[in-house]
Formats: sequence, structure tokens, C-alpha cells
Amino acid sequence: MLGEMTNIVVEALPQVEGYVFPNETIPHPLWSTLIVVYPYITGLVAGAFIMASLVRVFKVKALEPVYRLSMLTALAFLLCATLPLLCHLGHPERCYEIMMTPHLTSPMAVFGFVYAWYLMAVLLLELWFDFRLDFVHWAKITPGLQGTLYRALTLGVTDVSASSVGLDMKMGRILSIVGIPSAFLLHGYVGFIFGSIKANPWWGNVLMPIMFILSAIVSGIALCVFVYQFLTWLRRQTVDMNCLDAMAMFLFYALVVDAVVEGLDVLHRGFAAEEGFAVMQTMIREKLFYTLNVGQITLGTLLPLLMLGSLQLLRRRVPEAARRTMIFFSGALILLGVLCMRWNVVMGGQFFSKSLRGVMSYKMEFAGQEGWLVSAIIMCLPVVILTILVKLFLSERLPVTEPPLPGHSKP
Amino acid sequence: MRLFKLPPQILRLVLLTLAIVGSYLAARAMLTPPSFGQYGWYRGAALGEIAARTPVLAGKKACDECHSDILHKLAGDAHKTLSCEACHGVSRDHANNPDILPVKATGSYCIRCHEANPSRPAWLKQIEVKKHYSEKCVECHLPHQPTQTQ
Amino acid sequence: MKTSSSRRSALVKLGGLLAGVLALPVARQVKAAVQQVLVTTPAPNGYDPTQHKWLMCVDANKCIGCGLCAESCKRENGVPEGPYFRTWIERYVIPKPAPGSGQTRGEVQVDSPDGGIHGFPELSLPKDQIEFSFFVPKLCNLCANPPCVQVCPVGATFRAPDGAVLIDPKYCIGCAFCVQACPYGSRFLNPVTKTAEKCTLCYHRITRGLKPACVEICPAEARLFGDMNHLPADDPLQKFYEKNRVEVLKPHLGTEPRVLYAGLDKEVR
Repeated sequence: MLGEMTNIVVEALPQVEGYVFPNETIPHPLWSTLIVVYPYITGLVAGAFIMASLVRVFKVKALEPVYRLSMLTALAFLLCATLPLLCHLGHPERCYEIMMTPHLTSPMAVFGFVYAWYLMAVLLLELWFDFRLDFVHWAKITPGLQGTLYRALTLGVTDVSASSVGLDMKMGRILSIVGIPSAFLLHGYVGFIFGSIKANPWWGNVLMPIMFILSAIVSGIALCVFVYQFLTWLRRQTVDMNCLDAMAMFLFYALVVDAVVEGLDVLHRGFAAEEGFAVMQTMIREKLFYTLNVGQITLGTLLPLLMLGSLQLLRRRVPEAARRTMIFFSGALILLGVLCMRWNVVMGGQFFSKSLRGVMSYKMEFAGQEGWLVSAIIMCLPVVILTILVKLFLSERLPVTEPPLPGHSKP
Repeated sequence: MRLFKLPPQILRLVLLTLAIVGSYLAARAMLTPPSFGQYGWYRGAALGEIAARTPVLAGKKACDECHSDILHKLAGDAHKTLSCEACHGVSRDHANNPDILPVKATGSYCIRCHEANPSRPAWLKQIEVKKHYSEKCVECHLPHQPTQTQ
Repeated sequence: MKTSSSRRSALVKLGGLLAGVLALPVARQVKAAVQQVLVTTPAPNGYDPTQHKWLMCVDANKCIGCGLCAESCKRENGVPEGPYFRTWIERYVIPKPAPGSGQTRGEVQVDSPDGGIHGFPELSLPKDQIEFSFFVPKLCNLCANPPCVQVCPVGATFRAPDGAVLIDPKYCIGCAFCVQACPYGSRFLNPVTKTAEKCTLCYHRITRGLKPACVEICPAEARLFGDMNHLPADDPLQKFYEKNRVEVLKPHLGTEPRVLYAGLDKEVR
């Protein structure tokens, strides 16, 4: 009888150490790779946008060459942001409910509105004001379907007088200012989703939304560095070192702030040593060892800090080629590190029981609703979209029109 | 009447915004379920749907309709807190149609509750089955009046 | 030029208004047709959720760990086989402390094999090494300030006026936020319906005057249930909370659980 009982128990449960609630002995975690990918994507969007805002709001002239690329990168990733959520839902066909009857006590309920606001009222609108002048001119010089596209994108507003373009630039600047808190909201609410779950001590603390936003800014700037260097390499152009150095500087200081706040979280947990601390220590040691110590801390934070920090100290004394390589690898490592951070947060919270007595292991599935495959496809899609966007709007063949000076009016 | 002169960009965008917001409001009016908000932020009709499920267990009162003599014996002895279905299994089908027999308790079903176990509270009469007189409980015990013997 | 354009714009405005007025009855019919699909059965006959206040209490001193409650709950509510439990039983075994350790207790062992639906196997620890041991039935705590309801993004889970915390299976989108938010592990995602699920207090039974399946089947009167608005004289439920020092699970989280427990221990989470 006992033998039979233990057989049933062993076959039904995943690897369990200690005591976990019976409802937690499910074969796969509820929030899996898709929920890791979603905050990663929105983080990249928010970060890329904030870096682009530095140009318009804080008038950092050095970053001007990368402004449009950053905005298009943000757009490419934002367009894919809903996909992980749709794939994750038990009933994706009911997804409209979240906008029809949003339960406003839930942080998740704001998703539909924040996303719609950010996509339409901030990102697309700011892009439109920036590109409108070019759309008007490109519509004239491009034949066929592409020309029709540009014409459609002007929304019929073909006035290219100085005052009209001046209004465009003013609106763009206002939207940039509005966009910064909007970007914070777009990604901050995700951090708040985790931060508001008091049932789970790994998630439920006040630093969670702040850590999410800071690591989002870091990942967004790193993505812009990565994309900019990759695109210029692809086009066999030379990188604007002024721009790259400026990005590296912002990346470094953002990373410092992010590392400090994440370190503060760790420090506080250890200091307060509240009830769940023991089981969380076990969980970190057994389940998150590589993704946390190697992925997030060493590769994702310490190495980039060293490389970028040394660049800040030594600056022009380091030859250009070496600077480019160091910045590129720092960007790539940070991107990896922030993905690890999302993994550690999302999965870490599910690796231990709410009974605070046990630790679970799950087998990650490859195919299946929340398997690796779906997440990998969703991560590749923004790259495809960005390629299309770059071909359409950052083409080397299409000249960027200089805005007319005030006092001159063009017909 | 002079129309307020808006720059063309702003005008187009305002119209577009009104169209989007308008279609959202229309969709919301159409797609919100009618009973939503009846008692709170949920579909009031859900209460009815959840309550509409057919019960599976018959319940002790259902057995009383035909077996009141046994229940009377039960009520006078130590097993008075037991529901008939605890030993005889789910008997709704039997309650609806007496020709369908319920699961009859086997002679060793008693072990489920009465097997000695250090986690069990002291007020419960427990026996170590291996050391007890017989494996078939009903040889000596009357299930409905457990303090009496055959 | 200006007159004709303003006349044109006025005509356009008038045409739009007319179209809107004409479209209104059409829109209404379309709305009715759409809602026909969404309209469902009304509340059960004669049952008014505002007239009842359900309460469930657990006397862990009485629980014998037979597992009949967990088993009959699965059967009553059609819960799929596997690690999905609306209610379960936990066994706590507190061994004697190691001699000379200065501890009052050894390391507590908790288990719940398959939720306890087949009862509990023999303990591996011999009787003389056990300080004491007990069972604790667990279920949804019917919180008055439920974190699960708070986090539902669409309003699919809710606290009914009669105190039951329920899930609308036709509205739930299966995001599992509520499952994460419940501190007691009472919720799960049903693998068949792909919606969240949990103890409904056997709502389909209590609205017909029956008792929840677990209360009905419990041989030890460890589970007590009643309607606070209609308590009969000498009701065991009333005696329970009037005479016992009751506790709730995880009070520090502020969820205000309404299920009262007697016979808990400091080890129970």
C-alpha cells in the first residue's frame, strides 16, 4: 500500500523538495517563458524610447544620428508586445474583455489602455510628426505602391511651409516629454504586477517596479547600441563615434543606477531576513544559480560595468576600434543580462512554494503553449519588422529632407 | 460664423482620435455582457450559472426518505455524525431510482478512518488492523451502531 | 469660395446627423443580436444572494485525515485528475527534538500525498519519536479582502453578496494572475477548461439548501458550515466560534480570511 502510494506521488509530481501545496505540483509553471519575454520586450521599447527622448527633450545633440533608428526599434518591438500575452492566455478569444470591462483594481487591467495610448498617442504620433516632411517628399519621388504608402502616411497633410514644419517639431517635442512618463507607465505597470503580489515574497516588494524600469532603460539603450552598430556594419558605413561614445556614457550611468538598486534589493532581503528568506536562499542556490550569478550578475552587470567604466575613465586614450568592440560587447552582454533578470524574477517566484517550505523544479517544454519555440519566434519577429521599417523609412536611397528655415515658405 | 482655424495636422489627428474613441465606446456598449455590474464588477448571470450545476452527492436527508429506521439507529450511537455516502458512496442515482444500488461498504472500508495513526486525534477509536481480531470488521461490529457487537 | 465650402461642410454635418439617426435602430438590433449570444440563464429560482451570509469553519482538532472530503469534492465538482484540488488535507508531524539540542521540537514534516484524497500512508517515523501530529484541512479562505479578486483584470472572479468567492468560467481569460495572487494556494488553472478554478463552497448545493460536499461527508464534524443570517438554535457553527479561540491563516497579509480555524499550530502556513 505504501509502495503504491509513493509511486503515485513520484509519477504525478515534478521534482519537489520539502513541502509544497498540492496545487503547486503542476508539471509546468503557470507563468513561463512567454511571461519572461513580455516584460523584456516592453522594457526594450521603453528604454529605446527614453534614449531617443534624450535628443528631443534634453537636447543631447550627440545622439541625433541614432534618434530615428531608436524610435523605429521601439516601434518594431512594441508591435510584437501583445503576442506573448495572447499566446499565454487560456482563452485568447476573450482578450477583448480586458478593454471592455477592465477591473481597475488590477494592474493588469491597465494594459490595454496603456498599450493603446503609448502606441498611438505617443510612439506613432511622434514618429509621424518627425517623418511627415519626408513622407511628403518621398511620396513625390517614389513610384508605385511604396509611393502610395508614403502618400497615405501623410494623412493628407501636405503643407511643407516653415510654420507647418515648425509645428511638427514642436508637437514632436511635446510628445517626447509626454512620452517619458508614458514609457515609465508602459513598463512600470509590469513591474507593479509582480510588485503587488503580496502572496509571493520574491515578487511582492516596492522596489520591483523601479528595478524593472531601470533595467528596461539599460536594456533599451543597449539595444540601440547593438542595432546601430549592426546596421552601420551591414551598410558598410562608419559609426559616428561621438554618438556611440554618448550612448556608451548613458548606458554606463544607467547601468550603475540599475546595479545599485538591484543590489539594494538583495541587501535589504538579507538584512531583514523575513520569513520566506530561507526558502528563497535555497531556491536561488538550486534553481537560479547560473542565470543569476553567471548570467545576470557577472556577464550582465559586472563585465559591462568594467568595460564601460574603463571607457569613461580613459575615454579617447582607448583607440576607436577597441572602443567600438568594447561597447558592442557590453551592449550584447547587457541584453543577455537583462533577459536573465526577467527570467530570475518571473521563474524565481514560481520555483518555491507559498507554504515557504518547499522548492519545485519544472521541465521546460520546447513546443507547446509556453515552450521555448513560441518565445523564440516572438523574439525574432521584431527583428523582421525592424528590417522592414528600416528599408521603408531609413533607406539609404531616400534622402532626409532638411526642414525649411522660418521665414522661407516653400510651395 | 468663422470656423476656428486649426492647423491641418491637428484637425486630422483630432478627427482620427474621435473616430477611434467613438468606435471603442461603441464596441464597449455592444460587447459588455448585459448582466455585468448587477451586483458588482462581474456578470450577475454567473451566479445563476454556477448554481445551475447538478449536485452529485445526495446528502443524508435524501436517505431519510426511505431509510429513516436505519438513520434512527445511527443517530443513537457513535456514528451519528456520519453521512450515509461516506461509506456507501455517492448515491444520487439510487436516491432518484431505488433499483440502482449504491456502492455497498466493504467489510474493510472501516480501516480508512479507524486505522491507528499517530496523527489521528485521541477521541477517535483506532485499531491496529494487523493486531486486531479479524480483517473483516462486520464479523463483530454493527456499522450503524458501532458500540454494539453482533 | 468661402460660402460654398461652408455650405458644403454644413450639408456634410447634416447628412452625418441624419445617417446617425437612421443607423440608431439598426445599431440597437445589432446590439440585441450580439447580446443574445452573450445572455445566459438568470439567478436560480428563489435564491437571493443578498439574503444569505455563508460561513465555513474548520476544527482541525477533530480532523482524522480520512480524506473523504477531498475525494468527494473532486467527485462533486468534476475536478480533473491530477494536481488540482479545491480542498486538501495536510499532515503535520512534529518529531521529538534531538536530545541536548535545547529545542522544543524537531524539524517539522509536512505532507499531503495527492491532496489526501486516498487518505494518508503510514508514517515512516516510529510512534515514540513523534512529539505530536495532526491534520489540517485546507480550502479557499473566503477572504473579505480577497487578493485574487483584486488582481483579476476582467472581473471574472468576484465576491458574491453572500460571501462566496466565485469564478465566472465563461468570462475568465485564463491569465492565472489570481492563482499567483492567492497566498494559500487554493486556486489552480483547470487544464481542461483553461480557466481558473477553486472551491465554490459547492454553490450549486448551498443555493438549494444542501450542505457543501466536504461538510456533508466529513465523519468527524471537522468542517462546519452555515448561513449567518439564518442560524438555528444550538447550531454547532455558532458554538464553534463562540467557544473556541479561533485563528485564521496568514493574518499578516491583510486578506481578512473568513474561514476560522481551531487547532492550528505555529507550523501551519
